[in-house]
Amino acid sequence: MARRILSAKNSQPVTYADAEPSAFASMLGGLIEANVASRPEKQKDFNALAARVGIWVTDIDEGVTLDFRRGHLVVHNGLEPKRDITIRTDADTVMNLSNLKIGLFGMPVYYDEVGRGVASKMFQRKLRIDGLLGNLATLNTVTRIFSVQ
Amino acid sequence: MTVKAFSDEWAHQFKDEVNKSSVYKAAAKGWKWTVGLVIEAEPDKNFPEPKGVVMDLFDGEARDIKVGTAADAQGCNFVITAPYSRWKQVATGELDATKGMLQGKLKLKGDLPTIVRYTKASQEMTECTTRVPVQWPDEF
Repeated sequence: MARRILSAKNSQPVTYADAEPSAFASMLGGLIEANVASRPEKQKDFNALAARVGIWVTDIDEGVTLDFRRGHLVVHNGLEPKRDITIRTDADTVMNLSNLKIGLFGMPVYYDEVGRGVASKMFQRKLRIDGLLGNLATLNTVTRIFSVQ
Repeated sequence: MTVKAFSDEWAHQFKDEVNKSSVYKAAAKGWKWTVGLVIEAEPDKNFPEPKGVVMDLFDGEARDIKVGTAADAQGCNFVITAPYSRWKQVATGELDATKGMLQGKLKLKGDLPTIVRYTKASQEMTECTTRVPVQWPDEF
């Protein structure tokens, strides 16, 4: 049974494309919904963002597509076509991405412990971001919405 | 000393392990919510009744960890629910708790941004459970 389905009125900021959202989809959707509801600066980013972002968790073989539609997010189980950015990494790094601090000019902080850990995963190719070229601003916006810090 | 899984003695040793952990102390600074673990019954695994673990955690310290009913655990600010055999997998290091939550093997109820902010603390708490030598009811 669908909890919140795509055909529902878009009064809710986050809806799910699948009748049975995966645990990962529910968790990311729930996290973003709570972040946006509690932080006005994240709401502003959320309202401005139009992009399709895929996240694939390599060590659990599960992923989601986050379809941001300027003030509304549709979460799909799995990777859907036409993504602007796709992040592929392990579960721990996904959690670390959501713990990145946001610094000056809304840029994610990569020089503290969590940030260095994320950067190190990138250098080791354990964190891969497809579509980064030309979408850096989108990635930063997604990181700000995603971050719990 | 080996203790029975999810017994009062287990809770006592688990609390000691948490309070011995400097990693937990640092990572859980600022934490001020109760956490309940619901262990669902699996009669075929010799675990016939559900149990609850209530953890009173505050600012990097385990003030109290008690074993009670599932209802006791469900009254906490954060509740993690799984069948007995899943918890055994977590406590033996076979299942990573973060992955378990992302896969829905462990069901979490509570404010997601808060729990994500304390990922490191919850990982260390899981590590603490693996340090308690346990006698599992399905291995009698």
